[in-house]
Amino acid sequence: MQKFRLYFEENNRSPLVQLWREFARQHSALFGLALFAGFLLLSILAPLLTPHDPYLQADHLLLLPPSWSEQGLVQYPFGTDDLGRDLLSRMLKGTTYTFGLALVTVLGALIAGLALGALAGMSRGVKSSFFNHLLDLILTIPSLLLAIIIVAVLGPGLANTAWAVSLALLPQFVHGIRNAIAEQLKQDYVTAYRLDGANNWQVLTRLVIPNIWEKVTIMCSMALSTAILDIAALGFLSLGAQAPTAEWGAMINDSLDLIYLAPASVAIPGLLIFTAVLSVNLVGDGLKIAMQRRREG
Amino acid sequence: MTIYLLRRLFLLGTVLLGLSIFAFSLGYLFPGDPLQNFSGLRYLDDSTREQLTLAYRLDGSYLQQYLAFIQRLWHGDWGLSLASQQPLLTEIRQVLPATLELTSYALLVSFFVGIPLGILAAIKPDGVIGKAISAIAITGYSLPIFWWGLLLIMVFAVGLGWFPSGGRLGVLYEIPPQTGFMLVDILLSDVSYRQAALQDALRHLLLPTLALATFPTTVMIRFVRDAMLDVWEQSYIKTAKAKGLSRLQVLYRHGLRNALLPVIRQIGLQFSTLITLAMLTEVIFSWPGIGRWLIDSIYQRNFPAIQAGLMIISVLVITVNMLTEILHTFFNPLARKR
Amino acid sequence: MKYLSCLSLLCVALLGGCSRDQGPLREGGLVYCAEGSPEHFNPQRVTSGTTIDIISQQLYDRLLDIDPQSGDLLPALASSWQRSADGRTYEFQLRPDVQFHQTHYFTPSRPLQAADVVFTFNRILQPDHPFHAVGGAVYPYFQSVDWTALVTEVRATGPLTVQFQLSRPDSSFLSNLATDFAAILSAEYAGQLLASGRPAQIDSLPVGTGPFFFREYQKDVLVRFYRHANYWRGEAAMAQLVFDIVPNNARRMAKLLTHECDIIAYPRLAELALITERPDVRVQESTSMNVGFWAFNTRKAPFDNVKVRQALSLAINQRAILQAVYFNQATAARSVLPPTSWAFNPQIPLHEYNPQRARELLAEAGYGNGFNMNIWAMPVQRLYNPNALKMAELLQADLAQIGVNASIVSYEWNAFRRRLSQGEHDSVLIGWAADNADPDNFFRPLLSCAAADSGSNRALWCDPVFDRMINQALLTSDQQQRRSYYLAAQQYLHNELPLVAMAHSQRIQALNSQVEGVSINPYGGIALFQARRVQP
Repeated sequence: MQKFRLYFEENNRSPLVQLWREFARQHSALFGLALFAGFLLLSILAPLLTPHDPYLQADHLLLLPPSWSEQGLVQYPFGTDDLGRDLLSRMLKGTTYTFGLALVTVLGALIAGLALGALAGMSRGVKSSFFNHLLDLILTIPSLLLAIIIVAVLGPGLANTAWAVSLALLPQFVHGIRNAIAEQLKQDYVTAYRLDGANNWQVLTRLVIPNIWEKVTIMCSMALSTAILDIAALGFLSLGAQAPTAEWGAMINDSLDLIYLAPASVAIPGLLIFTAVLSVNLVGDGLKIAMQRRREG
Repeated sequence: MTIYLLRRLFLLGTVLLGLSIFAFSLGYLFPGDPLQNFSGLRYLDDSTREQLTLAYRLDGSYLQQYLAFIQRLWHGDWGLSLASQQPLLTEIRQVLPATLELTSYALLVSFFVGIPLGILAAIKPDGVIGKAISAIAITGYSLPIFWWGLLLIMVFAVGLGWFPSGGRLGVLYEIPPQTGFMLVDILLSDVSYRQAALQDALRHLLLPTLALATFPTTVMIRFVRDAMLDVWEQSYIKTAKAKGLSRLQVLYRHGLRNALLPVIRQIGLQFSTLITLAMLTEVIFSWPGIGRWLIDSIYQRNFPAIQAGLMIISVLVITVNMLTEILHTFFNPLARKR
Repeated sequence: MKYLSCLSLLCVALLGGCSRDQGPLREGGLVYCAEGSPEHFNPQRVTSGTTIDIISQQLYDRLLDIDPQSGDLLPALASSWQRSADGRTYEFQLRPDVQFHQTHYFTPSRPLQAADVVFTFNRILQPDHPFHAVGGAVYPYFQSVDWTALVTEVRATGPLTVQFQLSRPDSSFLSNLATDFAAILSAEYAGQLLASGRPAQIDSLPVGTGPFFFREYQKDVLVRFYRHANYWRGEAAMAQLVFDIVPNNARRMAKLLTHECDIIAYPRLAELALITERPDVRVQESTSMNVGFWAFNTRKAPFDNVKVRQALSLAINQRAILQAVYFNQATAARSVLPPTSWAFNPQIPLHEYNPQRARELLAEAGYGNGFNMNIWAMPVQRLYNPNALKMAELLQADLAQIGVNASIVSYEWNAFRRRLSQGEHDSVLIGWAADNADPDNFFRPLLSCAAADSGSNRALWCDPVFDRMINQALLTSDQQQRRSYYLAAQQYLHNELPLVAMAHSQRIQALNSQVEGVSINPYGGIALFQARRVQP
């Protein structure tokens, strides 16, 4: 009897709590989440945390090695670059640009994607099928290439990068959301709801959206890792953020000249990009597995 | 199947149409003189200007201009590169094979390394090997390729001196270009240093291929592993197991074949990712391919070249995708209905 | 597992060959890693040092050469020359049996003759010459020294004698003939091209008399030359010469360290210490006449106002720039002339850094609230400015102190110079390396009115007073008298400030320890004729 009640109780927990339980069982996912939260905090608080002005050029402290080497200074944990700018402050500032901007672009693409995807998903017939196939093909053009095309038209710059990456992410959102909605519309409970006299808008807001948010979250995590990599890659190609902006990719490109003198100035931003993308991927993978297990379990 | 093919072809036609309209409008979207953007001539005197305006129908409606544009494309008159004043099609013919060469080797690596590792990871997903492979996969999946490439150069080229840091072939070897594919060209050439050149070309290939193959390989591992685990849950596997077949037999006869079917589609998807990553790899390893050429063109504000490069790459990517999808459908009748 | 073992086998096979060196061809071939592509292969039409380094000393000869040590003129294709008493006629006796290149596109039927020299200079002089308009009729160096106004006629007075008629005596005339730009082309080749209707080919598939002949050029990849077997000075030591085009500084250094390059242009000054620690590479240093500067577009407001220019000059910290950009491996510049020149004016004070005074001057000029401007920074490393982008960032920070908001603009090098000549910039960080020892070579190409039209005057500055000074200096060959004119000209520049001179630097290149015999001409490009490989 006891056992039966326990089972009953657990099954009644809200889907969110169940999801969290499954998620929290995976150490790697938790680790990713912690990293992710760290980056998120940094990208918001970066201006408060930087020990020095990231653009201040200290003439007397050029190419200071990191503090773990003998010539380093405690005040400059990662050392300075060849213009005497504090590398730690620049890395922190870069979180806002690379990670923060990636979040914003994904958010933008998500909102536009929801609107377009809903429109496409709720419509039917030849028009919709054609639209879907068209998206399929646009999707085959990778986001970075699309972003490069857009930057080539708009011209380089951080703002244009944001637009380009956002636009480049849009097709995959529209496509994914459209498919998710279409799948929902096939369900019996939707038909039942319609028979009750619900209109399209009610179906969309009351049934469809609450049921697809999980898929949307996964989409977002994938889009975010793409966005970070794309923004950094564009910065690295000096098509995105321009010097002296402390964007991670641009910083790698900037410090390439110093690779023999100050390897840290190339290694650290790269490591940061890697960690940021890893954290997002770990969280995304964790979510995916958690959802799968919840559905099975 | 015929109807399916026709529908696909119709779709391909529409997309190419859209693409060509986009490419055409780039001539106006790019800053500067549309006539210069279309022709690529750096110096335009009045008589050529008049002549070209007439030939390009720039005085007519946009539709007429577009038709003239398509006609030029069809006849292979893609304009000149603003930077070098060479015909663009000639330049593309020189750089495209280099990219295809690099990407195809990376694609091969991703298959020959990715598939076995993926299967290995699926045999015991929670075992040590499975976990280790998954960890490697997610690491490789998260690596920014430009940084990874730099790391490889710093360690294996500059640090250890095992491999050259960039390029396709030691510059002292003069190999007459025939196909544009370096290894083939070396084998076709009749120079005295063929053996040495071949070895040198292979050494040049290794690091860029490794850098480029990392991402698709990890995608492949994850994909194959998931597909295998998916198949493992299917009822026909359960039936096979129930029949008393050994794990390996089940895996080989029923699991593998069904799991690897979607891999065909992956070729298409991987190819488009590879082309983009190849652009970055080419920049880092000074590989004279179309990616580096396109990015240089962007730096040089070489608009005719950007236009042509985009068209070529997009058409290539879309066509390969379409082909693999058709191929996939051909082997898997179930997919036709969708 | 099988794959892995296959892979490792492959690795072993690859490594087994030869790890750092390039195999059989390395013996007879030399690789020079250049920082950019040549624009074309005709020295008459270039001003960029990149192109000059690659083509002029390798493919061509001039009538005269300059002794790198003393700066004196030496006979080259001209074995002797005479100047008439009035200084307006020069006659050159050409060296006999000088062979042109035999290539896959041209086979010469005769050695060098007076007709070749006449062709070479008439192409520049005569607007109706069939080759004059090839490449847009632009001859920047010759236009900047106002060559067409100076030389009235070039004619052959015998099969091997050429006479130049000048409109006025000019003490810098011979020096101009010895610059890398005055390379001698083949009239026979030009005739064949004209007959077959491909005149433009003369600048893309070159024929000269130099130690190497042209083999192939892959844009942005490489330029390949082979040894000219019948070179009049004797055969070059290396059978093959390849210019590997590597625009990125770090990658050039990497290629030197991996032995993919034997010589690299413009190693970064900061890394010199690193190189000296290694036994396999060494650094070669030589004096050079050059100046890196910051030029204002004086045709645009507010830079037409001398007070604004002075204010901008006072706002920048030259000492910090010397440290961060030149790593203190350069002399602080006072004016455009380097201290090693005989016409240098030591009276001019060192650059002053005074943001307070700069703000006052700006207010006086009516820009008390500052303004927006752009700084164009060269995308490549040059002798006179190893890192213009970095310098621009420093200037940007300095200018912000006086309320001037500067943005940095940079394009790919060839596009950069093309747009620069069109005067699109507000200010630009660029420089000048002398082509000959004559001080006129600094003043005229950089700041004369003629140069403002031809494009090498980056300040687009045209001042009749200044032009008169440098013109008068040429009319006499008395060095004391010339010097007084140049001292005055420098003082005038110091007051007017069309540009702020930053630094004069040493020319440095890094090369493999096995390579010897590379000489750098302080007044021009690198010469690889005598370069050879020795076993250490």
